[in-house]
Amino acid sequence: MEIPYTASVRPDTGVTNQKLGMWLFLASEVMLFGSLFSSYALLRSGAMSWPDQSSIVNVPLATVNTAVLIASSVAILRAVAALRGGNVARFRALMAATATLGIIFLAIKSVEYRGELAEGLRPSTNNFVGLYFVMTFLHAMHVTGGVLVILFLCGPGMVMNRHDAPRFLGRVEASALYWNFIDVIWILMFIVLYLL
Amino acid sequence: MFRKYIFSLDHKVIGLQYALTSLCFLLIGFSLAVVFRWQLAYPGQPVPIIGRWLGELNAPGGVVLPEFYNQLVAMHGTIMVFLAVVPLSVGAFGNYLIPLQIGAPDMAFPRLNMASYWTYLAGGVVMLVSFFVPGGAPNSGWTSYPPLADFATLGQTFWLVGMFLLIVSALFGSVNTITTIVQLRAPGLTWFRLPFFVWAQLVTAFLLLLAFPPLQGAAILQFADRVLGTSFFLPSGLFSGGQAVNRAGGGNPLLWQHLFWFLAHPEVYVLILPAMGIVGEIIANNTRKPLWGYRVMVYAIIFLGFMSFAVWAHHMFLTGMGTVISAFFQTTTMIISVPSVIILTALLLSLYGGSIRFNTPMLFALAFLPMFGIGGLSGLPLGLAASDIPLHDTMYVVGHFHYVVAPGTIFALFAGIYYWYPKITGRMMNEALGWIHFGGSFLCMNGILFPMLILGLAGVNRRLYDGGMQYAHAQPLHNLQVGMSYAAWALALFQLPFIWNVFASLKFGRVANVNPWQATTLEWTAAPTPPIAHGNFETIPAVYRPAYEYSVPGAADDFVPQNSTSV
Repeated sequence: MEIPYTASVRPDTGVTNQKLGMWLFLASEVMLFGSLFSSYALLRSGAMSWPDQSSIVNVPLATVNTAVLIASSVAILRAVAALRGGNVARFRALMAATATLGIIFLAIKSVEYRGELAEGLRPSTNNFVGLYFVMTFLHAMHVTGGVLVILFLCGPGMVMNRHDAPRFLGRVEASALYWNFIDVIWILMFIVLYLL
Repeated sequence: MFRKYIFSLDHKVIGLQYALTSLCFLLIGFSLAVVFRWQLAYPGQPVPIIGRWLGELNAPGGVVLPEFYNQLVAMHGTIMVFLAVVPLSVGAFGNYLIPLQIGAPDMAFPRLNMASYWTYLAGGVVMLVSFFVPGGAPNSGWTSYPPLADFATLGQTFWLVGMFLLIVSALFGSVNTITTIVQLRAPGLTWFRLPFFVWAQLVTAFLLLLAFPPLQGAAILQFADRVLGTSFFLPSGLFSGGQAVNRAGGGNPLLWQHLFWFLAHPEVYVLILPAMGIVGEIIANNTRKPLWGYRVMVYAIIFLGFMSFAVWAHHMFLTGMGTVISAFFQTTTMIISVPSVIILTALLLSLYGGSIRFNTPMLFALAFLPMFGIGGLSGLPLGLAASDIPLHDTMYVVGHFHYVVAPGTIFALFAGIYYWYPKITGRMMNEALGWIHFGGSFLCMNGILFPMLILGLAGVNRRLYDGGMQYAHAQPLHNLQVGMSYAAWALALFQLPFIWNVFASLKFGRVANVNPWQATTLEWTAAPTPPIAHGNFETIPAVYRPAYEYSVPGAADDFVPQNSTSV
C-alpha cells in the first residue's frame, strides 16, 4: 500500500508529507525550547542577583563551536544541492563532513563541560549554572540525534536513493531542515547563555 | 502475526490498541476513585472486601492512610486525564476514524503512528510501576506543584519520566494527524466538506503539538530539581520539616504553575473538542438534518483553539500574581466561553425540527448537551477572579471540571463507541443493555457530581482526606458524601452491562449492514464494513458534496452520501 504525497507535492497544499511533518515537529520543538528560554527569562528577571555569565562559561570555546555548527549548516545545504544535481559522491562527502563537524561540536562541548566540572561548578551551584547545563545538554542531545540520522543517510540509508530517489531526497531535505533548526537554537543559546 | 496484531502499522489496529489500553486505564483510574470514595464517606473505617489487598504500608488493617489517599487522588487525576481520556478520544477515535472519514488509505506516517502507541504504553507502564516503588505512587496531585513535588517520594520522579514519554507520544500522534488531514483528503473533499469530527481532531492536534512541549520542558526542570539538586522551583529561605533546605534557592514555584497550566488549559480543550466532534456526527445522523451552523461551528472551534493558549493563568488567581494579570486572564476567559457556547447552541439548535431517532449513541449524545452545559456554566464563576477566590479550593471546582469531563467527554466517548462499533466489528451492540448503561450512568454521574457543587458552595475544601469531618461547616453535609459514594459504587455496577455488551456483541450482536445508521460520511458509504485490512478503500473515493446531506428535498433517500454523484 502506498501513502499518497509522501514524496510528491500535493498540488493544492504545495508540500510533501515529509516536509509538512518536519515543519510541524520543528514547531513543537520551538515550544519546547521556548519554554526553557522563557524559564530563563523569568528566573533571571526575578533573581536578586545573577552571576556574570561570561566569566563563568567558556566564551572563546563556544565561539569556535558556533563557527563549527554554522559551517556544518552550510555543508548540509551544499549536500542537498549536490543530491538534487545528481552528484552522489559529492553528496556523500558533504554529508560526512556535516556529521564530522557535528561530532567536533560535541567534542568541544564536552571539553567545556569538563572544564566547568573541574572548577567545581555543578547544576546545583546556582540557577544560571543549572539552566546552562540543562539547556546545553538538551541541545547536545538534539545534535547527537541529528548526527546519527545524517550518518545513516550517507551510509546504509542511501540504498533508498537507488529505488526511490524522490523519497530519499525528501528525507535528506527534512534532515537538513532539522539540522539548521538546531543550529539556530544554538545561536540563540550562545547569545543568551554566554553573551548576555 | 506480530506485524498484523501487535506491531501493526495499520491505523485501525493501532486505533484499537489505543482503545483497549485506554479503556483499561479508564477502569483503573475509576477504581482508584471507588476506593477513595469509601474514605470520604466513612473516614477511618477499614475499606470492605478489597481493604486487605491494599497493602500494610498503604492501608494498615484496611484503613486508608493520608499518604495513600494522596497517592490515590493524584493518580486518579493523572491516569484519567493523560492515560485514559486523551488517548481514547485522540489516539483511538482519531486514529481509527480520520483516515476513513477523509478517504485516506492510512495515516500519513504509519511507523510514527506505531511509535506513538508504544511510547504511550511505556509512559503508562512507568506511571503504574510508581505504585510499587518505595514511598508509593506520586502524591503531589496531578498538577505536581513544587516545592511539594520537589521533595516528594521517588514516585514523583516516575511521574516526570512517564509524563515525558506521554508528551513524546502526543507529539508523534499530532504531527501524524495534522499531516494526514492536510495532505490525504480524498479528491473533492475540500475544507468545508470535512465532517465536524475531523475539524475537531485537527484543532485538538494543534493543541497537542504546541501546548504539550512546555510541560516537557517543565518536567525536565523538575527532574533536575529532584535528581541534580538544582533550585529552579525552590525560592530562597525555604524550610521543610522545620529545617532550612540546603539548596542554592533563587527559583520560583510559580514558574512551574505557569508552565504546567500553559499545557493544562489547552489540555482541557483536548479533552472536550473531540467529544464535541463525536456528538456533532451523531446528532446530525440521528436528527436526519445537516448540522445547524456548520461553518460557524468550524470558525468557533478554530477560534477556541487559538484562545485556549491565552487563558491558562485563570487557574492561578489565588497565587497573588497581581490584579493586572488577573484582569487580563479573566477577560480572555470570558472571551473563550463565547465559542464554546456557540458550538453548544448550534448542536442544540440542530435538534430543532428533527425527527429524532432515540438509539443508544443518540441518548449519550443528547445527555452530553446539558451535562457539558452545567460543566461549562459552573465554570464561569471560576473564570472571574473575585468569585474564584472563595470557590477555588473547594469541592465546587471538582464538581465543575468533572461535569465537563465525566458526563461530558466520557458520555460522548460512550456515544462514539456505540455509534462506530458496527463499523469496527460488523455487528450492532445490544440496545437494551445500552439503555440500562445509559440510564444508570446518567443518574449516578449526577448523583456523584451535583453534591460536589453544593459542598463547594458550602465551603468544603477539596483536599481533605476525611471528607471534611473535622470542620463544623462540613459535618452537616457529610450525608452528601455518603450518598455520592453510593452513587459512585452504583456507577461501577452500571458499567458491567457495557463491558458485557462490548464483548458479547462481538459474537451475538445483530449483523450490521454496510451503513447501519444510514449516514452520509465516507467511513460508512465508501469503505466496506467491517473495514478491509490495508488501504481502507477498494478505490479512493471522490467527494461531491458536504458532510451532512440529510433529508435533501427531491433525493431518493433521506441521506445523500458524500461520494454520491446523483441527488
